[in-house]
Amino acid sequence: MANPYLNTVYWAAATVLFIIITSLISGASARFVVKIRGGTKKLQERAFAGYLFAAPWVVGFLIFVLIPMVLSLYWSFNKVEPLKPVIWVGLKNYLDLFGDSDFKYAFLNSLFITVIGLPLQIGAALILALLLSQKLRGMRLFRVAFYMPVVLGLNSAVLLCWGLMFNANNGIVTQIIQGLGQIFVPFNWLDRLFIYINELISAAFLGFQSGRYKILQNVISAGFPAADRVPLWLQSPLWTKTSLIILLIWSCGTMMIFYLAALNNVPQEIYEAAEVDGANAWQRFWNVTWPLITPYTFYNLIVGMIAIIQLFNEPYVLFYNTPTVAQSAQSVVYYLYINTFRFNRMGYGSAISWFLLIVIMFITLIQFRLQNRWVQYDLR
Amino acid sequence: MRTKLLVMLVLVSVLFSACAQATPTAAPATQAPAPAVPTAAPTTAPTTAPASVVLNVAVVDYVKGTTDTWLENTIVPAFKAQHPEVSDVQFTWLTWGTYNDVLAGYFNTGTGPDIINFGSEYIAQYGSQLADLTPYLGKDAWPDYAQYIPSTMAGVTTADGKLRGLPWLIAPRAYMCNMTELQAAGLTSVPTTYADWIKEAKSATIIKNNALQQAGLVVTGKLDDWQEYIGLIWGLGGQLYNPDGTSNFSSKESQAALKFMYDRRRAEYPSETVADLPQTNGNRLSDGSAACVLGNMWGFPAATDPVWNNIQLAPYPTDADFPNSKPISMVFQDWLGIPAYSKNVALAADFLKMLGSADNQFTYNKGFGSFPPRKDAWHDYTDTTLMKNIGNIMDQYGVAFSDVRDTAKLVTILQKEMPAYFTDQEDLATAVANIDQQYTQALKDDGWIK
Repeated sequence: MANPYLNTVYWAAATVLFIIITSLISGASARFVVKIRGGTKKLQERAFAGYLFAAPWVVGFLIFVLIPMVLSLYWSFNKVEPLKPVIWVGLKNYLDLFGDSDFKYAFLNSLFITVIGLPLQIGAALILALLLSQKLRGMRLFRVAFYMPVVLGLNSAVLLCWGLMFNANNGIVTQIIQGLGQIFVPFNWLDRLFIYINELISAAFLGFQSGRYKILQNVISAGFPAADRVPLWLQSPLWTKTSLIILLIWSCGTMMIFYLAALNNVPQEIYEAAEVDGANAWQRFWNVTWPLITPYTFYNLIVGMIAIIQLFNEPYVLFYNTPTVAQSAQSVVYYLYINTFRFNRMGYGSAISWFLLIVIMFITLIQFRLQNRWVQYDLR
Repeated sequence: MRTKLLVMLVLVSVLFSACAQATPTAAPATQAPAPAVPTAAPTTAPTTAPASVVLNVAVVDYVKGTTDTWLENTIVPAFKAQHPEVSDVQFTWLTWGTYNDVLAGYFNTGTGPDIINFGSEYIAQYGSQLADLTPYLGKDAWPDYAQYIPSTMAGVTTADGKLRGLPWLIAPRAYMCNMTELQAAGLTSVPTTYADWIKEAKSATIIKNNALQQAGLVVTGKLDDWQEYIGLIWGLGGQLYNPDGTSNFSSKESQAALKFMYDRRRAEYPSETVADLPQTNGNRLSDGSAACVLGNMWGFPAATDPVWNNIQLAPYPTDADFPNSKPISMVFQDWLGIPAYSKNVALAADFLKMLGSADNQFTYNKGFGSFPPRKDAWHDYTDTTLMKNIGNIMDQYGVAFSDVRDTAKLVTILQKEMPAYFTDQEDLATAVANIDQQYTQALKDDGWIK
């Protein structure tokens, strides 16, 4: 080989050739099917063109989604380890899940973050959207500012910055909280109340996960936090999930955009009618705005739930250097990753992913069933 | 006609998009600022063939801006000059935080670097998946072999009777204390017993506004380092494994070591609500944020720095309740191995020979703050008082950090159970029982127990 980089070029060229050939085969097959069904020449050409253009995506879907899915389903019934023969184990991987305390721990972590974090994320998005839908000067600037976290994304670089900002001793988040508390005493009380409530909830949850409640007893016996207490964001198992939830709230920009669109779609005359009837701002929101944006809330709920249950990047990057607190923030997908790629238990990892799929589908199904009770699709 | 046009359009668009992605990025040109260092004679004969081979090297222990640039700017040009068939040597800089995952990826897929920087304990896990280097670096093949400290070759880099790597650096780990801070806390010497350390952790720690201003002792993490735990077990005379190969973490030595770590943590952090030390870019001993540190010379000031005049060293502590207890110092040895999947074993072995020369071992270890594993490279900085002291500790108390089986799983188990105990989510008996049960299961699952 004359040039080592040629290998990459060969692979790229082969990929392109593969896409072209499979696209032509797809188009030709579609034309053939139309032909034997007696379609006209024009219909045959249309079928050929349609499938030719769709083929690159379809082929990609087959190679990168469908075939891996089918393979992982097969693997989930096998013991699969690299460089070793695949051994059929039936339902063992799935049954093992129920006896795996670490899996339960991670699964409960994901549920906790979803149940607490998702409503807060949706709430923050709605509040921001309500604020940003006001007709004020410079509002576009604020919209850009609040959407910026989505543009930045919760990628590794951003998460590493958050890691620095969350330092409990001299991180900027802590410094701001301390500074505000010194300037404005009620804020300090509010901060301590937040610390107390957070630690009580987290300690109770950790106790529930482990079956031992000494950490809760410690929090209770320590009493209301002293004035100099700070949140121990990435340092304590009582705070790791809270840190992740704050990151979720920070990145609520996409939900906010949907709500902004929803608010623009609420007919102005309904507000005017409500005002004529003497409704105040809260009544207008609760009786007019909220019902009419429930389809968007429903969408945010479903999409947000799926995204949060699949949380991986955030706990991985934030806690990879502090592994001793990492387990308290370990999501179920992080656990899947560890089993699959660190412990080489590919079959078990596949079983976790399929179990997760079933759980997500089940919760989604329930939400679809329940939507009739609260989602308002028309103005009647 | 329309169909043909469509086909042409699709082909052209696909080709254009493919070309845009397939364009190779030009490798950045690197110039060697320093002259090429003396190197060993290559095993493979230089060829006149055009440069076509790219060697990939993954390094985890390096000092940013020092040893990494030396490798890239000095070693690589020298190696390329010796091997015209090599077009480039590319480095991947790893971190310990993701090390196990990355290594698993390399070996699972059979694709990865030609040379990997391993820690001491990894010979047990990966030894059999590495190329046999006996024909290249063995006693009969390489005259320099005789210069290496025998235990570094036989102990850490040999598996199944075959040489699997080149010893790269030796870093003994000791407790280092700033005597000014200790004296300010009313102590006159570096603690050497469990009781002394708990006293030190309490008296030398300064907490203000519920946050640490000065720590009595800093160990990786929050006084919950799994490697220190293993060292403490060994220091009490305990063993990690029973004769049948099962886990022995419920031994009384193991329990005493973990209990000591818990008590020491409580002495430093009266409650789990105390905020850790602020982040630092320097080192804890010279910036005054710690009275003592458990560590090696990595990331510390040069051995000639005056800061060391005020620092005293000590091995791992002992406990009078254990008759077999003795002071030890954990000796970490990095080594470089060539995975069996590499297609360039001979070339990679030549690269190791070059790195393994006395001058190159000296330069890298000096930059890193460790000891070269070959005797004729111990000069200059190893003659300083500090390095002599560290060398003495290594001589007297050194225990190689090796024979730790199924490392990736053990680390995960310890990093889960130890903090669960330290943060009162579990009691001591539960924690060690969990470690024992899970580790034995892992050893069985992964074929360590037949």
